[in-house]
Amino acid sequence: MARPHIEPYVELDAPFKKFDLNGFKGSHYKVLSLDTDTGACTLKVRFDGGFKRKAGMSYSDMEFFVLNGGVKVGNEVWGEGHYAFVPAGQHLGAMSVPKGAEALVMFNDSEPSFVESDRNHQLALTESFNSFNAYNDAPWGPGNLVSPSVATGVGIKILHYDVLTQAITFLYYMSPEFQQNNISYHDCAEESYHIWGASWMMQFGDLPTGGYFWRPPYIDHGAFKCKLGCIAVGRTDSKLHNYFHFNPWANPDENKMRAAAHLYRQRPQLYEWAASDGHNHPHGPPDFEHQHYHDDAQVRHLHNHAPVGVKEGTQKAPKKKSRR
Amino acid sequence: MAQRVQDKKPKRNKTAQAWMDENVAEQKIRHRAIVKEMEELEPKRKKWIRDFLKTIQTRGFNVDGDLLRKIPKAEIPKEPKRKHRVVW
Ligand SMILES: [Fe+2]
Repeated sequence: MARPHIEPYVELDAPFKKFDLNGFKGSHYKVLSLDTDTGACTLKVRFDGGFKRKAGMSYSDMEFFVLNGGVKVGNEVWGEGHYAFVPAGQHLGAMSVPKGAEALVMFNDSEPSFVESDRNHQLALTESFNSFNAYNDAPWGPGNLVSPSVATGVGIKILHYDVLTQAITFLYYMSPEFQQNNISYHDCAEESYHIWGASWMMQFGDLPTGGYFWRPPYIDHGAFKCKLGCIAVGRTDSKLHNYFHFNPWANPDENKMRAAAHLYRQRPQLYEWAASDGHNHPHGPPDFEHQHYHDDAQVRHLHNHAPVGVKEGTQKAPKKKSRR
Repeated sequence: MAQRVQDKKPKRNKTAQAWMDENVAEQKIRHRAIVKEMEELEPKRKKWIRDFLKTIQTRGFNVDGDLLRKIPKAEIPKEPKRKHRVVW
């Protein structure tokens, strides 16, 4: 995965650009973050009234969150707050936008792609398709999903959860006068877009409405404050663990070492095994529960392995290199 | 290994490659601007860090959720000599 650290980026003043790729002609976009190898990206897309496209599919998993307006997709109407996870190859009905809409559109595997089709691709993992209104049809839960957890005053709605990688997409809020006096980092990349409201972090200052970040693993963020409340879309690319500390000057290498030291102390057998045997399993060790996880596109994406059947160098496939 | 839809993606065409090249280049510029903006924030950040180090000694450091621990002065880290970076 090679998206650079984009934080903070406030997109509201940046101009939209004409979206001239197949399936998007007639819409406009801004790149929030882009994987320079694979083309995986998060975009803000503006569909003007009158936008239409035929039914079809993408070669990448796609996530779609409607910020405002409404989009007709097949028989469904996706209004403000609608979230959809559309697995690669999943057929989506014809799209039309009667009065205009803006959406976050995430392509998790490769650059935006679209082919007209009236059916699912035969390899599509359609069981992961999900489409619902996140504002109306999902409950708020407390923010303490993982331990150690955030302080009281954060609420979460889970929008998507990937069983293999534990990547999650979620809606979250911070309440007015929220504060959390620690510094955090994770093993996963973390992404956020502020739909409304501002929060503050000690490294980056204020993140207002329209504020965005893509933060690679092991990068410090926090302490945290929120004066008046905010609501945002968040996402991780794998399991989120909060490593809290209070050294404002720690760098990502030191943070990663500290995470490995946790593993060494808390899961000694696993650490020893990974340190001694890891190189014998370049595509991951066997897992009797998830026997075919090696084939999973996101798992391979996380390890910078080129798609199966694509020879390195023929498709600007991701170079194999370690993640930060 | 079994194939997935992602493995069936045709080679990136010229239009898509041009789209990538344009947006990778623009992202580089955006990243540079963010780095600059964040470096310019350093004087304010120095004060925020001082306040933070004070708060964790008085109100407390959030160990887990709302559990607070007051950090003794002896445990407060010292600023290293290297340049402080927040964007990587
Ligand atoms: Fe975080």
